[in-house]
Amino acid sequence: MTYRIGSAEGFYGDNVLSALPMIIGEHVDAVCFEALAELTLSILQKDRMRDPSRGFTFDIEVIASKILPEAFNRKIPLITNGGGLNPIGAGERVKAIAENLGLTDLKIAVITGDDQLSRLSELQAQGEPLINMDTGTPLADEANQNWAVANVYLGAQPIVEALKNGADIVITGRVADPCIYLAPLIAHYNWAWDDWDKLASGIVAGHLLECTGQVVGGNSLAMIDKIEGHQMHNMGYPIAHVEADGNFVLTKTPHTNGIVNINTVKEQLLYEVHDPANYITPDVIANFTTLSLEDLGQNQVKIIGVTGKPRPEKLKLNLNRLEGYSRELIYTIGWPQAWRKFEQMKAMMEATWESLPIERVSYHFLGHNSLYQSVAQLPDDPLELIVRVVFTAQDDTILKTAVRKLMNNGLSGPAGMAISGTTIGQNPRPIIGLFPTLVSRDLIQTHIEFIEV
Amino acid sequence: MTRRLYDIAFGREGDKGNIANISVIARSSEAYQDIKANLTAERVKSHLGDLVQGEVIRYEVDNIEALNFVCHDALDGGGTRSLRIDGLGKSLAGALLYMEW
Repeated sequence: MTYRIGSAEGFYGDNVLSALPMIIGEHVDAVCFEALAELTLSILQKDRMRDPSRGFTFDIEVIASKILPEAFNRKIPLITNGGGLNPIGAGERVKAIAENLGLTDLKIAVITGDDQLSRLSELQAQGEPLINMDTGTPLADEANQNWAVANVYLGAQPIVEALKNGADIVITGRVADPCIYLAPLIAHYNWAWDDWDKLASGIVAGHLLECTGQVVGGNSLAMIDKIEGHQMHNMGYPIAHVEADGNFVLTKTPHTNGIVNINTVKEQLLYEVHDPANYITPDVIANFTTLSLEDLGQNQVKIIGVTGKPRPEKLKLNLNRLEGYSRELIYTIGWPQAWRKFEQMKAMMEATWESLPIERVSYHFLGHNSLYQSVAQLPDDPLELIVRVVFTAQDDTILKTAVRKLMNNGLSGPAGMAISGTTIGQNPRPIIGLFPTLVSRDLIQTHIEFIEV
Repeated sequence: MTRRLYDIAFGREGDKGNIANISVIARSSEAYQDIKANLTAERVKSHLGDLVQGEVIRYEVDNIEALNFVCHDALDGGGTRSLRIDGLGKSLAGALLYMEW
């Protein structure tokens, strides 16, 4: 017998209802929802500032109202990190929804301990220098100390404990993405915490599952000619059939759109991976270079031979802060002499940048080099040139002043130039800066709270 | 018709902060021998030009006949800071596979 893990969310806003055909068809034994990209906690922070009872994903409400009743009836546990910055609040919300639906004997588990924002001084006082993994700068040396979010990536351990205590739904904040999927496997098979090869197999399964559509033909260069647009609208999300020894078959919800084959698995295997022999997670370091893939046909790929190494001593901690604001304007310049007119426009704009504390400016040509920059060749004498100008400042009012000054030049600028009205009307966009660092795992304590309905 | 890397390989990009990885997955075993021998980190860095300001590190993944390029300072500060229209670098595999081959 295999244990079957379904994946129904790969980012905040994903189609979580894709869990329903998995659950109603009884194709899964547990379903996981991974909602937190690097930036997502910053979005949730804004929600929480407006309303302290929020700070979790809105998807949790859909999961609780539409999916939980079906899953609970069939004893299929649900696991999600969509609790974001407020897992307790999310748990209370799920409780209220469950009570409204008349569910009884439901056990909600809420995991906390990832949020380190109030502990930054304490961690440093305990000898943790919190050095930026990319720049080498210690946290204390940063001039801008306005940290809005600081969450450590937890591993599978507290989720396993919650599941072993009979949780029907587990809600967490930041947990390393693949560990959400590893947890129900450990809970089911009782894998030892130092059985590195099995843990690493579970991590590879989780890694392949965690981006939902990306392993069933979504965002795929390999499948461009194999998949039709109308099928991409409603893909069947992936499921892993995992054996007790860790080997597994990656497949998808039966009778749904999408493709699972060797190439979709290869594409996802290396997604967001640095050294494939050392894929670092809180629970194990997985080695992707020992595995082999076998296409069993009918949307099934078998993955065997994953190996693992002992877990790292430190956990990753990501901090976010506000670093200023940006604004974007889009101009379209027509023939003749579009390049000459662009140079005139740019010089005119530079006078505005110099009159204000504008920090960064970029100019790109949509349709020519906005994606590929110097890889792209620009045309000699274009009929149209669409210029995207982006500029930043510390203060959003400076950006508003800059736009007003630029508009003053409307009748003095180059001939044959149009500006996109929607870009004039935009609000400045906050620039969020990430500070990735490491923290000793013995300084982090997790807590499980059970809420009974 | 210009022959491009895309004709013998496909791939996907991913972002972590200001670092992008680009996988290049061979369409055949012969293609893998070809890219393993000729698609060096230096060549990738030179082709990507302005897109990658930092170092490019190459990993060979023989078991799936793929190369993985880790490109530092490749996202104009990363998805949250980047002024690019594609701050997450979702088009970087396309940019690399456009290489004449």
